[in-house]
Amino acid sequence: MTSRRITYALRPFALPAVLLALFEWYARRAAAAGSDALAPPSAALNAWVGAALDGSLWQATGFTLGTAALGLAIGAGLGTVLGIALGLSRRAAQMGFLTIEALRPVPSVALIPLAMLMFGFGVRMELAIVAFATFWPLLLLVQAAVQQVEPRLLEVGRVLGLSARDRAWKIVLPAIVPRLFVALRLGVAVALVVAVTVEIAANPNGMGYAMMIAQQSLDPALMLAWLGWIGVVGYAINVAMLRLQRAVARRMGVPA
Amino acid sequence: MKARLASWTGSLAVLAGLVALWWVASNAGWVSRVFLPTPEATIASLGEGLNLHGAGHGELLDFTRATVMRMLQGWLLASLFGVLLGAAIGVSPAVRSWVQPTLEFIRPLPASALLPLAISIFGLNPGMVLFVVAFGAMWPVLLATVHGFATVEPRLSEVARCLQMPRAAFVCKIGLPNAMPDILAGMRLSMTISLIVAVVGEMIASQSGLGQAILLAARAFRANDLFAGIVLLGLIGFASNALLGLAERRLLRWQQP
Amino acid sequence: MQAAPVPFLRFDGVTIRLGGREILSPTSFDVARGEFVCIVGPSGCGKTTLLRAASGLVDASAGDVRRNGQPITAPSREVAFVFQDYGRALLPWRTVEGNVSLALEAAGVPAKERGARIAEVLGKVGLAPHASKFPVQLSGGMQQRAQIARCLAQRPELMMMDEPFGALDALTRQSLQDELARLVREDGLTVLFVTHDLEEAIYLGDRVIALQANPGPGRPSLARMIDVRIPRPRDQLTTKEHPEFLTLRRELFAFIEHGHD
Repeated sequence: MTSRRITYALRPFALPAVLLALFEWYARRAAAAGSDALAPPSAALNAWVGAALDGSLWQATGFTLGTAALGLAIGAGLGTVLGIALGLSRRAAQMGFLTIEALRPVPSVALIPLAMLMFGFGVRMELAIVAFATFWPLLLLVQAAVQQVEPRLLEVGRVLGLSARDRAWKIVLPAIVPRLFVALRLGVAVALVVAVTVEIAANPNGMGYAMMIAQQSLDPALMLAWLGWIGVVGYAINVAMLRLQRAVARRMGVPA
Repeated sequence: MKARLASWTGSLAVLAGLVALWWVASNAGWVSRVFLPTPEATIASLGEGLNLHGAGHGELLDFTRATVMRMLQGWLLASLFGVLLGAAIGVSPAVRSWVQPTLEFIRPLPASALLPLAISIFGLNPGMVLFVVAFGAMWPVLLATVHGFATVEPRLSEVARCLQMPRAAFVCKIGLPNAMPDILAGMRLSMTISLIVAVVGEMIASQSGLGQAILLAARAFRANDLFAGIVLLGLIGFASNALLGLAERRLLRWQQP
Repeated sequence: MQAAPVPFLRFDGVTIRLGGREILSPTSFDVARGEFVCIVGPSGCGKTTLLRAASGLVDASAGDVRRNGQPITAPSREVAFVFQDYGRALLPWRTVEGNVSLALEAAGVPAKERGARIAEVLGKVGLAPHASKFPVQLSGGMQQRAQIARCLAQRPELMMMDEPFGALDALTRQSLQDELARLVREDGLTVLFVTHDLEEAIYLGDRVIALQANPGPGRPSLARMIDVRIPRPRDQLTTKEHPEFLTLRRELFAFIEHGHD
């Protein structure tokens, strides 16, 4: 690797490195002056290693990711099925319009106390909120994707004499796969954010809660460790979903 | 025209049907009234809380006002700083290449995750919540602005160079209008985040507002007050989105043929 | 060509109104089996709409189109349609083979037989070496050939072609014209071919029908019908210097320029 390529590859890390260095310097000064609100990144890294070694990191991360995934499966699954149905049938879409517009704007966090009431604390409560939050974007995006299937392809289906079932299976469904994966990528992002938010607000489980507890026990190093870890996990998952989405687009012959 | 009327009535019928189902389910006790209050009880609670016809104390009105103010103030601050910073970053490809990767890392971070840090620094007070609302909601606008400036049609940049347009003029006359659709979309997303963070902030920092109100209602098993609060939050979400949508359509009239 | 007792394809007072406008005024003509009829006319004269009515993609507001005496009300597998925007008419997620196979799947051809028929039809259009490629990997001309291959796989009686070579460069267009002429002759296909290119129409057709736009109340869209009495096989160089070709060309150009009879 030429030195030019090395510097190019390291460029994304330049700004974060500078910011972390500044933060390190400032936090150490603050700590020396007696503040317990901040901790230097080096201490946060230590705290992270500690949590990784004693297992609490993996347990909380597993809870958040697992619950988010399950909630997504439910919400995105239902949203996709309903989205396809509403996309194929204009009448159904028209009939459902007001109901969707009435229920959709409710912020998912508003349902946290209700879910608390119904399910207590734990997996089910978080699942329900994540499912609600991921249902709507998928419903709308899949519906739009079905409605926007290239009309020429549908005409080709008619001219070739394909049955309605064949048209749906061989043309509509493959045609929406790329946009389905774009919607899924969005759904994954929403699921993660909502899961962490529910844990911060109410649910005593998972990464968000671990971060809250660290703050409340006046352990800023651990709190920052969790904040950074949440960021890293979210970023990694999003990058993976982007790769998946692009691979699917390439396979289906669509410009990524 | 007749077809549109028919589709509206069909839609209304479906919605009315669901409300009827709600009414039956709650009144007949299919679902416990602890979780599902009757529609009448919810409306009564709304009436009391909003002090309609002098029916009650009107605390819901105060809570709504508090939440909406928090949301709006945070959103305005977020939009202002988002656009300014985004323009500064987006206008220069060099700056973009250094900064963009860091922005991409921040993008997936939940805005509410900043609350513990903010509590740590600022303590439990309204200013803290406002700070997190503004800071958290800034990123969609910032990222959208950067993208909007980054995707200026290269032909237009060449035109500007031929005309020897100064940098500031380029930003105002070409960059900003070009970025407007992206910026408005970012502001729409930002509004959603503002509402969410405002509500979560109220819940965990015990700040007066709808967020705290519904949390307390749930803890006290007051389902009608809880549902009343949820309805109000839904209305806030709906109204803010609708108004922004209208503004967007007016500002982007040039996009429509 | 002998006149059949019932014309193969008959347009009888076909009128089409869309969105309040009369796109096509009453048009009547017959097409015999094996004929290659080209339809020309300025923009807005309704030539594409006429084609779509004949394939059952659009309903006539008045009059009807009959094939073998039966009115056409819906698309049929025996009538193939080649669209101008080939990029949008091919399934981007299927290979060339897969796209051709779609026609066979629709016709219920058993899987065992499909391979042979696909190979046959790809051989005819010269795409055999590209069978496993995706549309995005093919040039415009090849994509259009793939579409034609799919249409041929239907084993149609009648082939509708809507400005099929309009989006291609001149050289590709010429080679595809000759390929099409050969295919049509080999399979004895009947073709209705819409084009805005007058020379192409004369070069390919046995008959050229010229439509006019906005004919006025009570007047037909069909303005001229010209028989092309140039011997086949035709060739890009000599045919275009043939005196008959030049005469027809002058006649058609003059007609189109004035836009009416």
